[in-house]
Amino acid sequence: MLEVRNIVAGYGTIPVLRDVSLKANAGEILLIGGENGAGKSTLLGTIAGFNKPDQGEILLDGKPIGGMAPEVVARSGLRLVLDGHRVFPELSVYDNLRLGAAAGGRQVFKRALEEIYDVFPVLKEKHRLYARDLSGGQQQMLALGQAFIAQPKVLLCDEPSMGLAQALLPPILSFLRRWAETGTAVIIVEQHLAVTSSYADQAMIIERGTVKFSCPASELEARLGAAASVG
Amino acid sequence: MTAASNTYPNAQQGETAKKARFNSDLTQVKIGLVLILLTGIGPVLAGNEYWIHTFQLVNIYIAASIFQNFLFIDAGQKSFGQGAILGLSAYGTAILFGLHGVPFVLAALGGIAAAALGGLLFALPALRVQGFHLGFVTMSAAIVFPQLLVTLDRWTNGINGISVRIPALMTPIAFGISPLALLVTIFPMLALIVHYLIRRSRLGRNMFVSSLSPEAARSLGIKPGLMRFAAFLIAAIGTGICGVLYLPVVAFVSPQGFNIELSFVFFFAVVVGGRGQMLGPIIGVAIIYVLPNVLLAQFVEYRLLMYGCLTMGAVMLFPDGIVGSIERLRSKKNHGGTGERAFRIDGFLAQLAGTGTAKEPTEEIAVEVRNGTKRFGAVVAVDGVNLKVRKGEIHGLIGANGSGKTSLLNVLTGLSRLNDGSFYINGVDTTDYPADKIANMQLGRTFQAPRIFSQMSLWDNLRLGLDARNGKGSDAIDALARAMETEFGHDRADLLSHGQRRLVEVMRTVLKESTIVLFDEPAAGLSKSERNNFADLVRFLSRQLGKTVILVEHDLDLVWGIADRITVLDQGRVVSSGNPEAVAKDAAVQHMFVGARHA
Amino acid sequence: MLSEILIIVIRGIAIGSIFATIAMSFNIVHGATNIFNFAQGNMFILGGFAAYFLANGAGIGMWAMMLIVAGLAIAALVSFQGYITLLPLRSSVEQDSWLISTVSVSVIVGAILMITQGPFAYSVQSIAPSFRIFGTRTPGAYGLAIFAMIFWYVALRLFLKHTYSGLAISALSQDFDAARAAGLPVRRLQLLAFAISGLMVGSVGFLVAPVISVSPDAGLKYVLNGFVAAVVGGIGSNIGTLIGGPLVGVVAMLTAYKVGGAYQDVASLLVLVSILVFRPQGIFGRVTARRV
Repeated sequence: MLEVRNIVAGYGTIPVLRDVSLKANAGEILLIGGENGAGKSTLLGTIAGFNKPDQGEILLDGKPIGGMAPEVVARSGLRLVLDGHRVFPELSVYDNLRLGAAAGGRQVFKRALEEIYDVFPVLKEKHRLYARDLSGGQQQMLALGQAFIAQPKVLLCDEPSMGLAQALLPPILSFLRRWAETGTAVIIVEQHLAVTSSYADQAMIIERGTVKFSCPASELEARLGAAASVG
Repeated sequence: MTAASNTYPNAQQGETAKKARFNSDLTQVKIGLVLILLTGIGPVLAGNEYWIHTFQLVNIYIAASIFQNFLFIDAGQKSFGQGAILGLSAYGTAILFGLHGVPFVLAALGGIAAAALGGLLFALPALRVQGFHLGFVTMSAAIVFPQLLVTLDRWTNGINGISVRIPALMTPIAFGISPLALLVTIFPMLALIVHYLIRRSRLGRNMFVSSLSPEAARSLGIKPGLMRFAAFLIAAIGTGICGVLYLPVVAFVSPQGFNIELSFVFFFAVVVGGRGQMLGPIIGVAIIYVLPNVLLAQFVEYRLLMYGCLTMGAVMLFPDGIVGSIERLRSKKNHGGTGERAFRIDGFLAQLAGTGTAKEPTEEIAVEVRNGTKRFGAVVAVDGVNLKVRKGEIHGLIGANGSGKTSLLNVLTGLSRLNDGSFYINGVDTTDYPADKIANMQLGRTFQAPRIFSQMSLWDNLRLGLDARNGKGSDAIDALARAMETEFGHDRADLLSHGQRRLVEVMRTVLKESTIVLFDEPAAGLSKSERNNFADLVRFLSRQLGKTVILVEHDLDLVWGIADRITVLDQGRVVSSGNPEAVAKDAAVQHMFVGARHA
Repeated sequence: MLSEILIIVIRGIAIGSIFATIAMSFNIVHGATNIFNFAQGNMFILGGFAAYFLANGAGIGMWAMMLIVAGLAIAALVSFQGYITLLPLRSSVEQDSWLISTVSVSVIVGAILMITQGPFAYSVQSIAPSFRIFGTRTPGAYGLAIFAMIFWYVALRLFLKHTYSGLAISALSQDFDAARAAGLPVRRLQLLAFAISGLMVGSVGFLVAPVISVSPDAGLKYVLNGFVAAVVGGIGSNIGTLIGGPLVGVVAMLTAYKVGGAYQDVASLLVLVSILVFRPQGIFGRVTARRV
């Protein structure tokens, strides 16, 4: 579904990622972990078109998307949910969701909206409120809902837990799990690996801009323990 | 120590090939001086009255555009009103001299004073706003100015203007050259030289940094507001002298002479010639003013259209302007400042290592925070923090995203203020000190995104630290600075790797002779070997140079490897503090990190 | 005496409504692109010229049709200008080339008007009959100016809150990156914002032509007063312009009455500088809680 081959990228002349490759398959969740500053957000930003890779290829369904503008990437079916539950604060909850349907018709929108309201009833309840009046957790639900409306082939999710109480994470993760099972390729970047890994299929750890290792998510804890005792 | 064992040859031995100059400023100044001399004296020798008059005016416009260039690029102040400044001085002089019979020299001083006052008025809003706001304010001033000249006819003679004759300036003294011809030739040359010298000076660098990154400037002890005032004042005085010279050249002032069009000529000349290029204003005036008004004089009513189209064309086709585009081609060939060797400091450190003896942290307190609280709206970023950092120690400050580390660092450097509590640097209560005052207490910092300025050479980037030094520096640092100047004087800074940029910023604080250094996530984006080098460097700063280091960092391996003490923040509060072993065992800390790897 | 002041205030509000509409046209472009179009004043004056050439003395039907034609033509012109301004510019020096390009477009439009029309003020007959306030005849176009301000405020509000494109333009101004990540067609929306701003100033210039000085050099006065109105109201706040515009207009009129007509722009400049020095965020601007 999404394939990234040996990308090198950074800001201006500052390389942050060196030779990173990954594959995200339809129906699976890939969890990307690593400490702050390891380059996880830069990786997602580069895939989504926010910065241009200096080298390497990014393929969506076999078509290269590296170097395209973010809005073009989004329209070709890859949706990035930025970190820090960013929504449009001065728009209503409903309008935020509506803007998710940048591509796609009215029918698709209606169906997807119903689904989102089913999963997160609080969004339906507060659909007239300004997004700025939601709590952090609700804003994260809204941001995900907005992405869901777009029905992307690939979903990138940057630190869904950031700024949220731990208790809010499981419902969000199980939503992503069910979403992935409908045939979407999902990539989650997270620091809280312990909670997240049980929802994921594959895992990958990035350290200092390069891939430290990849493994099935079920083996992540063991691998991390091994890495810690060695290094 | 690796730093000491690993000596690299410094400039003198290593480099054989001569590096190309970082920029062509000096060459441009030389060409510029010749061109001004030609336009100033050439027509006189040719003996054509029309050309003499025209090019005298051209030279005045060149001088005014040079000051516009300085103000616009070196100081970053977008003024669309320099024509009004010129007019203030021309009118001031004309009123005093022509209407009140004040001696010309005194009248000229009065005129220049009026221009300076105008410049200070422009600077006032510039203290609060920048960019397009300032553009609108200065443009309004330029629009209002001629209206005022008409309305205040009691003093200005209104629409009729003022005629002036100054025969003493017009009488040739030798070879048919009048004092006036000499003045309007020499002054633009002087203006060019002054611009060059300011740019090469500490003042010029401080202005430049203030405009590019006010927070970096403040952390170097510079007051950006003061720099803006100084820039407006210098530009106004220079432009004011242009106004004084305008008077005998044109022999007449009227409100129409100083409408917005004049301001646009100066501004457009800078853009078309090449923003920031020494030669830019000269070429710019040649294209913007000479081309439509002299060479295509039969189409003179189309001149505004030509100004606009030429400028639009330049923005679209040559965004760097004519001279800027040529300079770009030239500097493409200049590759000084790339690759692994572009910025190494091992050799320099070895040089410094000999000067000191090994030092250990003392019990004296360098930095202390008492019950510090910082709020942003409803968010409490720093919540009742108590912190003590001993002199000479490496103090690690860690915590998750949003735990308040950077907020605390910004408080300590004066970039933001505590809402409650207080903090002390070397025992002095600095809670309410502004950033520049704190910086001048020998405190230095680096930023998450290194403040490296590609417009300056690598050495000038380093030199900002030297500029910011308080009092006379030590001989060791002076020697280090000289060595670096020879090595990096003509290197570019924009091709450095991320790790090298970090090192440049660190070296800046060393050259500043900061005794307390704060690093904001210095290891982010560094490769493994760069991290090791950085760790060595921090150890060197603390143990060899006796500096106090506060390190905000996410890389826990790095922190545990070098810190003497560690403080852990969580949601703005200190959850643990002490030596690395104790903190690692603290249960409150363990759950915070991936895989509990430091247990 | 009192009624005289009242009349002046009403005229000030009317003139200020023009400033307010120009300020709103700034806001929509600024929100979508971060660009302040310095050429907006001359685009406004083009509307006045359109009224002179297309509809001077025409009947109401013809006039209304020409109003639409002029508005659309100027909208097209401004969006073309926007297209040029937004062309990705490669510059090693600075990123604010829009400042220079919009100023030069302003100079170009002014120069073309000056060359083709000469430095004269053209008078345009009013389509709206004059009306009486406190016994004084007031030109109908003043009423049109106030009407236009309210019309555009309401229209913009409806557009920005209730249409998909409008919501998307609002989204651009609230979080540019999030808007791009959501796949909103950024460039097309930005051009739309330019077009709307052109439609606004073009139509208002056409409407108020009888009471303004339709001359090649008048544009600058309006761009500046429009800017002052936007700053007073708080940049980005359309409701702020409803106060800011009339306030600037009234100050200008009172200055003209008490001090002299030549001091109107001086008064606006003083208002601008004092707002920037004492309250740079304007009356309705939000104080952002961000750190410096």
